[in-house]
Amino acid sequence: MTRLDETTRRGVLAAGGILAVTGVTAVGVAEFSDDDGHGGTAPASVQASTATTSLGLDLAGLPVMGSMDAPVDLYYYTDYQCPFCGRFESDALPELLANEVSDGDVRLVFVSYPYIGPASRTAAIVDRCVWRQVRGEDPAVWWDWHATLFDEQGQPNSGWASREKLFGFAERVDGVDATAVEECVAANEDEVADAVAADVEQAGEFGVSATPSFVVANRQTERAGRIVGAQPYARFQDAFDRIRDA
Amino acid sequence: MTARASTLDLFAAVGYATATARRALATAAAAAAAYCLLVLTAFPGYTAQLLGADATYLGEALVALSANTAATAGVVGIALVVLYALVTGVAVVVAVGQFRFAGGTAAASGSVSGVLPGLVASGCASCGAGLLGALGFAGALAALPFHGNLLRVAGLAVLVWFLARAGDPSTCRV
Repeated sequence: MTRLDETTRRGVLAAGGILAVTGVTAVGVAEFSDDDGHGGTAPASVQASTATTSLGLDLAGLPVMGSMDAPVDLYYYTDYQCPFCGRFESDALPELLANEVSDGDVRLVFVSYPYIGPASRTAAIVDRCVWRQVRGEDPAVWWDWHATLFDEQGQPNSGWASREKLFGFAERVDGVDATAVEECVAANEDEVADAVAADVEQAGEFGVSATPSFVVANRQTERAGRIVGAQPYARFQDAFDRIRDA
Repeated sequence: MTARASTLDLFAAVGYATATARRALATAAAAAAAYCLLVLTAFPGYTAQLLGADATYLGEALVALSANTAATAGVVGIALVVLYALVTGVAVVVAVGQFRFAGGTAAASGSVSGVLPGLVASGCASCGAGLLGALGFAGALAALPFHGNLLRVAGLAVLVWFLARAGDPSTCRV
């Protein structure tokens, strides 16, 4: 990596949402992109949290993987309909989970950024409801759900992620109560959609405009950078090294 | 100009671009360059970061974005990009020929300008990137029919139209 766009939370706020880029350093982020990482069990612990990150991301409602004490945060903005996200899931993600995340060096936060089509929004809402249903007793089940969606991913807006199909996928995942998920969506759709929309709006303040995108943040110094697209694993390693030193 | 005459001129243009080994090589080179440009601009932020870090990532970027275009717009989408690149290669060589033989700067630049619609259409429809994304219209292509394939076809048609008007630049058309 030759460039890492960085910023601090204060920098982001002071700029009214426009990230300040300072040469090597804007929120940003960095420049940094292949294996099949979807297995039956999560390679790192999946956890729930009600904390807020150093950059102001509210973790309530978001699945988190890795140690809560990890010095570096990696926010992963994704759309279940995005094929490039599927590439990241099968390429760099397994190595990240097996190394930095499992070792406690990086905390990975999954954030929905639905924008490809109406089914993206539906998938994000159902995803949140699945998380609500499993996070209390067996949060690791969420990983099986997440992996199932990417395994089943079809061409964007082709109907593979319709509401009915998503509920069908939920039924197939052990540990997910599909009926409870359907009830959650029926009862809380607007509220959940607002929460997803808030995350998308905040992502815009971080300079995120496409998926997959990542914000790498040093939790102590509040310095951060952005990685755009499904870049190789080595680029993420470079980003972590840089942000630790930032 | 009749449809038959246009078709003959189109074939004449393609024939001119491939008539000699030198021109055929130039056509292939221009087509390869056009393909790289079309694919790499599908996700400009990704391309800029990756190649900015290390130019040796060019192969990785080309493979990843080609696969992404195919996954997003289907086989038809990637085939249109390949076809667009090939026609662009012909157009570039014909445009250079027009400049050399007729000195027609306006005509030559007209041929090359046919490339532009394809550049816009090449954007990553599903990921909201592409040139439209770079210009601040992230997601615009996703809203287009068939993930931008109609726009790609339109761009291709414009380019073919320019070639059908140009014909063989080494022959006098007056």
